[in-house]
Amino acid sequence: MNELIQKATILLESNSVQVVIGYGKGSANRTRAIFITQAADCEKLIFDSRCIQNLAVYLTKQEIKKLGKPAIVAPIPVLRSIVQLAAENQIAENDLVVLGVTPESELVEFESFAAIETFLSTHRIEIEGKYQKTIEMIKSMPVSERFAYWVKELEPCFKCYACRSACPLCYCTRCTVENNQPQWISVASHPLGNLEWHVMRAMHLAGRCTDCEACYNACPMGIPIHLLTKSMLQDVAENFGTYGPSLDKLNALSSFKPDDKESFIR
Amino acid sequence: MSKIGVFICHCGENISSTVDVVRVAEETGKLEGVEFSTDYKYMCSDPGQTIIKQTIKEKGLTGVVVAACSPRMHEPTFRKACQEAGLNPYMCEMSNLREHCSWVHDKSEATTQKAIDLVRTLVEKVKLNKPLYPIKVPVTKTALVLGGGIAGIQASLDIANAGHKVILVEKDPSIGGHMSQLSETFPTLDCSQCILTPRMVEVAQHPNITLWTYAELEKLEGFIGNFKATIRKKAKSIDENICNGCGHCTTKCPTKKIPSEFNTGLGTRTAIYVPFPQAVPNKPVIDKDNCTYYQKGKCKICEKLCPTGAIRFDQQDELVELEVGAVVIATGFNVMQPSGFPEYGYGKYKDVITGLQFERLASASGPTLGEIRRPSDGKIPEKIVFVACAGSRDPAKGIPYCSKICCMYTAKHAMLYQHKVHGGKSYIFYMDIRAAGKNYEEFVRRAIVDDEVNYIRGRVSKVYEENGKLIVKGVDTLLNAKPVEIEADMVVLASAAVANPGAEELAQKMHVSYDSYNFFSEAHPKLKPVETNTAGIFLAGACQAPKDIPETVSQASGAASKVIILFSQNELSREPVVAVVNRSAPPVYSTCVGCFMCASACPYQAIGEELITDRKGNVIKRVAKVNPGLCQGCGTCVAFCRSKSIDIDGYSNEQMYSEVMALLNND
Ligand SMILES: Cc1cc2nc3c(=O)[nH]c(=O)nc-3n(C[C@H](O)[C@H](O)[C@H](O)COP(=O)(O)OP(=O)(O)OC[C@H]3O[C@@H](n4cnc5c(N)ncnc54)[C@H](O)[C@@H]3O)c2cc1C
Ligand code: SF4
Ligand code: SF4
Repeated sequence: MNELIQKATILLESNSVQVVIGYGKGSANRTRAIFITQAADCEKLIFDSRCIQNLAVYLTKQEIKKLGKPAIVAPIPVLRSIVQLAAENQIAENDLVVLGVTPESELVEFESFAAIETFLSTHRIEIEGKYQKTIEMIKSMPVSERFAYWVKELEPCFKCYACRSACPLCYCTRCTVENNQPQWISVASHPLGNLEWHVMRAMHLAGRCTDCEACYNACPMGIPIHLLTKSMLQDVAENFGTYGPSLDKLNALSSFKPDDKESFIR
Repeated sequence: MSKIGVFICHCGENISSTVDVVRVAEETGKLEGVEFSTDYKYMCSDPGQTIIKQTIKEKGLTGVVVAACSPRMHEPTFRKACQEAGLNPYMCEMSNLREHCSWVHDKSEATTQKAIDLVRTLVEKVKLNKPLYPIKVPVTKTALVLGGGIAGIQASLDIANAGHKVILVEKDPSIGGHMSQLSETFPTLDCSQCILTPRMVEVAQHPNITLWTYAELEKLEGFIGNFKATIRKKAKSIDENICNGCGHCTTKCPTKKIPSEFNTGLGTRTAIYVPFPQAVPNKPVIDKDNCTYYQKGKCKICEKLCPTGAIRFDQQDELVELEVGAVVIATGFNVMQPSGFPEYGYGKYKDVITGLQFERLASASGPTLGEIRRPSDGKIPEKIVFVACAGSRDPAKGIPYCSKICCMYTAKHAMLYQHKVHGGKSYIFYMDIRAAGKNYEEFVRRAIVDDEVNYIRGRVSKVYEENGKLIVKGVDTLLNAKPVEIEADMVVLASAAVANPGAEELAQKMHVSYDSYNFFSEAHPKLKPVETNTAGIFLAGACQAPKDIPETVSQASGAASKVIILFSQNELSREPVVAVVNRSAPPVYSTCVGCFMCASACPYQAIGEELITDRKGNVIKRVAKVNPGLCQGCGTCVAFCRSKSIDIDGYSNEQMYSEVMALLNND
């Protein structure tokens, strides 16, 4: 992607940004996030189908913020996260340059966050058929069976919190699990504690998750935790009619609309 | 170390008859941190309170648990007692052994055990209680009254006469509301205008009242004592300071055929108009939607005629911001157009009219100058049928409630008809006669006995026209459902009183609740009939439910007195049970990440933002901030905040958790 390298070089040379967050070569045949501060290093930037990490996670990290104004290489999942982070007041339009990349690997620039939102309206989140089937299968289980299913699925979790670190929306300074006065969520990785942690994580993403799958990709044990958030995405859509990120600040769970169905209140 | 006193009340026998109170005192006395425990017959009595006070002083208690009735009942009593003994009142908690235990269970070991558990949870909570201090907020001593019907007029006059400033906002060009449209009023038959217009004038002339007609509330922010209201003053196209109300303009306006709202469509008005001769203020407005100039760009006849040059075609709506301490909602009601009832033929036959239209016919200032004449041909009806409950008490059509005023005004209408049309015959179809009110039953009797009005108990099934007559078909249920048919000249429908079309939107703007019929809800149906659930906003008149003038006026004076009580203080004390966003040591400063989702979750708009700065004024962090004047302590934000950065004073996460754990760790 020469165009990307050129653009990044110009941005750094003109001092329009101080750091470019992008993808570079990783170990084995993988790619990893790189943070380029010198124009000369821009040729290290790559972009191909292996670049699946959600770089938006770095936008809220103190260490990266210290480097100055960033430009970010942003394929669709990153764009979605940017919109959600903006709606949650975590990033400001003037403090960021977005180097969008279309599914056809073309570079797109955006004048505003609103322009990203418009662009995304033609690239809607879709839950793949195979996931749909699994979710339906789980939902059709009787409660006790479903409980047992998740206890078992989550059993390998040893609470490394990689999922949390990879999620661009887990930007809290102090996560609920670290709150020990009182200790709402048990830190031990016993079956019930694991369940508590993952249910809480999914609930905290209700109406916010943009389905980037970064959590699942990060999990060293390969636990399908993204099923929880995908299912949540569908539930939110059914109950509140919102699907995917939007700049309006009316998050599904924190806002009331007179036409909310409220079918869960009986 | 905590030194907690536990005081168990027998509540006469209310608690002690099913709970072994002596054992509860004994067992809870053994809990860690409990210094003293006892039981007594009436804890709330003077000797009871003295036990608490003395123990606080003698034992140096740091916290108190009173296990008795509902905190709704006596929490203030016991907190005050603690305060008098030198303990911060918020170090005292009440456990409800009556409603939560003794009243709902039989006498048994389990009941006593539950009582012990209930007390134990609060002992654990009190250990974590912190002294709290009432929040002081200033009071702006100006009231905003919305709606200039009799309710708004009465409330404004009362508040103004107590020496406070009032801003009265009325959406129409004149104040007066429905009462100005009425002819005579039950139960005394005094002329409505005669008793109302002097008050309208008093409002206009009162030095403490600022009257804004043709104006509406745009936005309301803030909280009790400190509201900020934005009012839209709609363009009247007139400079009111110059206009002397001579009325020349209205005589020559070429657009003359606009149905007059005041005369309920039974008369017409011009595009530049004063709604009725006694209007206050008595100055015209231009109805832009019907004015030839505004619609077609040509005319301006009024401008040429006006001797003072007061016409302003370029006038724009004006938005004015106001600071007020209290709001009285007095926006009244509306009369349902009974077109949803095809059986009555309203809208199809000209001589089927509503009760409000009848008022205009019977009114000396009305289109017929008080003579009862049919709208179709101006003939005086020889036979007239009144249909009560035309829409009310009809769940199938969505209005199950009773409109309350119709029985009385229908009796009044029939009576007025009999007085005005000698030899005429009047019939009233009714379901029940509801005449509960001072002199009301006597009034109805007079209609039946003295004026020979024919009351027929039953419903009307159909009204249709035949040979210039309206055939009214119904049944008389007192005569074994015998069919009745009356050849009438005119039919009057007592159509239901309903909420104003904009009521729901208005309620949402002000964050007050409303019922399923869009009438505004009082805070408590018995004990707080003029308060809303939002402190500082009060209700008066028919906006809360259909009501007649005496009831409206009483409620308006009630609302006014609540405002005056509020304004009698320079500062308000508020319960300090409010949310707070945490603070922590640098470099974190607060665990709040400034997502502001709590702000949209808060039903009271209590959450704003705060910038944490360093000594040089550089912004380090942007976090949420709760306005303690607005916060109602509902806890919605606490449940919402993912990072648990927000907590309620007096009901913190830690305190709640300790209560739950006290129950779970019970062995
Ligand atoms: C046919 C009929 C006959 C009646 N006869 C009698 C009788 O004989 N005796 C008796 O005691 N009662 C009678 N009543 C009842 C009486 O009309 C009411 O009790 C009384 O009008 C209620 O007064 P109010 O001020 O609450 O409401 P309203 O009279 O409805 O006044 C409300 C005012 O608020 C204004 N307003 C509405 N919305 C807004 C807004 N958003 N912003 C600003 N202003 C607004 C309206 O324009 C109006 O001026 C009768 C009612 C009817 C329908
Ligand atoms: S208090 Fe919680 S919900 Fe509110 S802005 Fe801060 S982090 Fe977000
Ligand atoms: S406790 Fe309720 S009223 Fe107070 S700030 Fe939180 S949500 Fe708003």
